[in-house]
Amino acid sequence: MTVPSSFDKDLAALLPRLRRFAHALSHSPADADDLTQATAERALRSKAQWQPGTSLDSWACRIMRNLWIDTVRSRSRRERVEAPAEEAERIGEDSAMDAKLELARMMAAMSRLPDEQREVVALILVEGFGYRETAEMLGVPIGTVSSRLVRGRVALLQMVGE
Amino acid sequence: MVTDETFFAWLDGELHGDEATKVSAEVAADPALAAKAEQHRAMQQRLKSVFDTVSNAPVPERLSALRPEPEVIDLAQARGARSRRWSRGFPQWTAIAATLAVGILVGTMVPHRGGAPVTVAGGKVYAAGALDRGLTTQLASAPSGHVRIGLTFRDQAGEICRTFTAPAMSGLGCRDGDRWQLRGMFAAPEGQAGSYRMAAGMDPNLAAMVGSEMAGEPLDAAGEKAARDKGWR
Repeated sequence: MTVPSSFDKDLAALLPRLRRFAHALSHSPADADDLTQATAERALRSKAQWQPGTSLDSWACRIMRNLWIDTVRSRSRRERVEAPAEEAERIGEDSAMDAKLELARMMAAMSRLPDEQREVVALILVEGFGYRETAEMLGVPIGTVSSRLVRGRVALLQMVGE
Repeated sequence: MVTDETFFAWLDGELHGDEATKVSAEVAADPALAAKAEQHRAMQQRLKSVFDTVSNAPVPERLSALRPEPEVIDLAQARGARSRRWSRGFPQWTAIAATLAVGILVGTMVPHRGGAPVTVAGGKVYAAGALDRGLTTQLASAPSGHVRIGLTFRDQAGEICRTFTAPAMSGLGCRDGDRWQLRGMFAAPEGQAGSYRMAAGMDPNLAAMVGSEMAGEPLDAAGEKAARDKGWR
């Protein structure tokens, strides 16, 4: 076997992190892994568009975010908004501290945020990107990022806060 | 009174210098604000630790199978390389002759486990044996065996074409009836015989060939599978 190029290795090393971001955006773990796979495939196909020296993390996250937006837009609003709420109630009855349930509960709460709030919460609070980097990634002013983040995290605290 | 935007920017470490000091002082002096900071810090920590269970878990096999990945090429660059090459005045037949020479060599280069990889009929070279099976059954997303598939796409005439890599060579096969006509085969550079050239990228001659034959975009994983299910029609 030949040694994979640095791009391939770096992308492979990013997979766990891309899965995390995908879970923060997606409705279910299965959707999240589909999104991760689609992102990795798109990134490999678009390899030539990545500029060495720039952040592969934010480049790959931007690809994922754009693919996610495409999927979200093609889905019905009903499926997006009502299904997770139902799931959250069902899971809420179970007080088990099991990590999977906790993840399901957090994903359900994230799913109830409007898309534009969910993506900034995922990018900044989960992935640790800065406001400016997030604004550049999303192509919106930094003030917009900041106000969406305020609304998103306040709503999230109401949903998951003790 | 500090605005929500400023308060959270401070909490997220986005404020610096005097601005940060000013908010810190306000929070220290206001128990309600301090409690709010504590609540949100805790929520964020929980959010982070919950999603960290995903990034700390092993990557599922179907995702880790993406490495080593199928070859990826820069078509724009390939097209550029092609036009540059032609502009240098090399007649196209030189490349064709070189391709045929490689094709003849290939018979001795590829392990004969599945029989000869090529067969000639009516002046055309077709894939045979393991190469034919690889082109017909393999998906780029699930590589196995000696033949690896790179890109699958439709050519200008609407036929399905697939790039492949086999030990010591790579090439392009396009559907001609029920067979794969080989439009090009290229020897791996010296020293790479016996290895798959995935990580090193596509052979520039092959990339140029793909660039000139391909209509539209390559098929994605779903499109590739659908095309296979329909018998590469």
